[in-house]
Amino acid sequence: MAGTMGQELIGVGRSNNPDPREAGAEAARRAADMLKPAEIPAWVLLFCGGKHDPAAVLAGLRGVVGPLPVVGGSAAGAVTSTGFGYSGFEVAVGLFPEALGIPDILTDSGLLQGEAETGRRLGEGLRGSADERVVLLFYDSVAATSPPKLHPASSLIEGIYDGMGNCRPHLVGAGTLTDMNLSDGYVFDGTKPRKHTAVAVVLPAGITAETTILHGCIPVSSFMTITNIDGAEVFELDGKPALEVLETMLGIDVADDDGRTLSLMVTLGEKHGDPFAEYDENRYVNRLILRVAADRRSITLFEPDFRLGSIVQIMSRDNGLMVQSVRNGVRLMNQRLSGRRALMALYIDCAGRASARSGSEIEEAEVLLDEISIQAPLLGFYSGVEIAPLDEMRSRPLDWTAVLTVLCCNT
Amino acid sequence: MTERSTDDLERELAFYRRQCNDLGARVLRMQEEQSRAHREARRSRTAARLLRSAFGLVNVEASDEAIGNRMLEIVLDNLVCDRAAILRRDSRRGGFMIVNALGFAHPRVVEDIPLNDPPEFFFTSSRETGDEVAATLVQALGLPFIMWAYDPAAGIALLLGNRGEANVSRPFGPDDREVVEAALGVFVDIMQRRRVEEELRVAKIVAEEANSIKATFLANLSHELRTPLNAIIGFSEIIRDEMYGVDSREKYQEYASDIHENGQHLLSLIQDILDFSRLQSGRSTLREESVDLAQAAAAAMGAVATMAQERGVRMNIGIRPGMPPIHADPTRIRQILINLIGNAVKFTPAGGRVEIRAALSDDGGVVLQVIDSGIGMAPEDIPRALEPFCQLENTYTRRFGGTGLGLPLCKTLAERHGGTLSIDSRPGFGTTVTVRLPQQRVADGSASIFHRA
Repeated sequence: MAGTMGQELIGVGRSNNPDPREAGAEAARRAADMLKPAEIPAWVLLFCGGKHDPAAVLAGLRGVVGPLPVVGGSAAGAVTSTGFGYSGFEVAVGLFPEALGIPDILTDSGLLQGEAETGRRLGEGLRGSADERVVLLFYDSVAATSPPKLHPASSLIEGIYDGMGNCRPHLVGAGTLTDMNLSDGYVFDGTKPRKHTAVAVVLPAGITAETTILHGCIPVSSFMTITNIDGAEVFELDGKPALEVLETMLGIDVADDDGRTLSLMVTLGEKHGDPFAEYDENRYVNRLILRVAADRRSITLFEPDFRLGSIVQIMSRDNGLMVQSVRNGVRLMNQRLSGRRALMALYIDCAGRASARSGSEIEEAEVLLDEISIQAPLLGFYSGVEIAPLDEMRSRPLDWTAVLTVLCCNT
Repeated sequence: MTERSTDDLERELAFYRRQCNDLGARVLRMQEEQSRAHREARRSRTAARLLRSAFGLVNVEASDEAIGNRMLEIVLDNLVCDRAAILRRDSRRGGFMIVNALGFAHPRVVEDIPLNDPPEFFFTSSRETGDEVAATLVQALGLPFIMWAYDPAAGIALLLGNRGEANVSRPFGPDDREVVEAALGVFVDIMQRRRVEEELRVAKIVAEEANSIKATFLANLSHELRTPLNAIIGFSEIIRDEMYGVDSREKYQEYASDIHENGQHLLSLIQDILDFSRLQSGRSTLREESVDLAQAAAAAMGAVATMAQERGVRMNIGIRPGMPPIHADPTRIRQILINLIGNAVKFTPAGGRVEIRAALSDDGGVVLQVIDSGIGMAPEDIPRALEPFCQLENTYTRRFGGTGLGLPLCKTLAERHGGTLSIDSRPGFGTTVTVRLPQQRVADGSASIFHRA
């Protein structure tokens, strides 16, 4: 998809060297090789496989590009135009040159104390500078591992919008993971790897973005009302224990394996807009199931943004639909970007969509690489949560989606 | 069209809701069955890809360590595990050593893994109580969920591990045995094949070197035999054809003397060749007796005294009284000494000197040296001087005579006695040839070795 090597405005490189320092240096060298010879790199997007020591990767990268600001985080895998993988040793680097302008980087490490407050502070920081700008947001998804607890992106995003007031950036981003098992996560905050941190990058005014969300879930139930919920833990649907509703539907005892089977099979989806309009995947916000509680007959979702009275449907994670959604969405983006000067395609892909996890016969990253024809380098990574504009330019955290954002030159 | 009651419509709605949910449930189950089938198919594809990638290592030119690391990369990439290690059984001490490891965030101190009765396949799960094997392997990898495959014949094991039980989509289980054992089998095959290839490569080099030495030896041998034969034929033709007339009796006597001399040289050459050949093939035995080195040195010196006198070379024996006798073949010791002294005299110009020294070494063995103040040789020429027929320049042979087998013979004889022969030399400063014999060769040494040729 990329243009001629050595002619790009943004350089992208990938490595899967098991040595972290070598991997950082290798990916950085490949990215630097793609830049136009006269370009001086100004900052770096870095995504780093979970088996690597991030500090060593960073040291390897800096050995090549020098002490530039580095933003990004851990990734369960990486995708570039040369291939993809999720062994845990992937490192993907995007080198942004000075010529595109210097971004503002805002960080807040208060996620553990409160996601909404962290978001609000970040939002207040963005209020003055981010209106109509492209903002990349990264935070580490995993708050705790035993029992698994995530930093809810919905609270973070809501806090950001509260803090921003009327400011409306094009906000895309991700909750980062080290692997598909929700083992850990971290972000690069400009200088070093950090936990419980959100980092927002306000791209220079000359950069715009086109974003599409690629789905893969289809409703398999009638509408149901959440009749008992506490945060992300759904106790009842239509007055019946939520776990019982799902078990009855699936015909299996899902509590046996702590919900692992369930998390692979279904989501709860909330349809936006006219509930009786024709099926349109873009109208749904889906929530993956993090775990089940057999004793409370409840299910806990990835995000706590469904409320008492929310109308939801049980959604099937449909691999065929996922692949089709990628194919259609990417083709549509190819058309939308036709004739425009694209700088880089950023692909934020839910780790659960990888074939190893989803059981999909076809790797959806392969479909992306087959279909994409935008003349710009591709930098992609596997994430825990995806963040993208859903409606009226307000972004939401999404589950089991892929977000394709193409950065363009505003000229 | 009759207007339907709200009650009917609500019942119809409820019916459609039930239908919708039933159909949805069926779709969901079908989806799940399909996903399960795809995951199984993926596992087969993964196994095939893993084996294909691993087989690719056969032709990779790298160290064993690099091959092991690459193998682990392939295993981790395909099986999507958190850590992996290759272990080698320590047959001497029992237990295992980690020889390759991947997925450890920080360098890990590799310790002995005390597993004396290793299973061929093993995995841990939360549903089964861990035993001693589980505890050992979990500790070795530092992760709670492990899978182990072991090839007893090769003494190599593959250990995989995960932080969480449901890694990616499923825990380790008996179904994984086939793929993990296949991966281990491929690795073992690759390593064995590499070892065999290395052995073949070394053997080929040795054989090529041996062939080259043999060819050089034959070429030199032919040359050494042809030179006196040509002289014999040439001079005998002159005599037979009376090329200088019937009255040149003195000339013909001189040529007859040349023929005799070349005949003697040819004879000694053939004797040396046969001797060398017998020693090399092991068909020659040592007849061991007590040998007085001072007497042997004096006898050898007597044998070359005429030549030394003619060349104006002084000779001296530096063996202190009380030097104990040695157990050796007296004929062979005399042969060594005559050869070495003869060489020393030949390569020492007039006015020079040759000395024979013998003493006990620090380790109780014998050091026998022949030291000359002759022309010497460059260090790089010394190994060649010890090869049969590799005299440094043929002009030396012509100038100084000899078969070119003297030093190789001496070296072989010293080795037959359990000793060594070494040369220390500098051009223009002379040469010291040192024969070292082990302590057991000394007559009052505690043990006796009788090296049979």
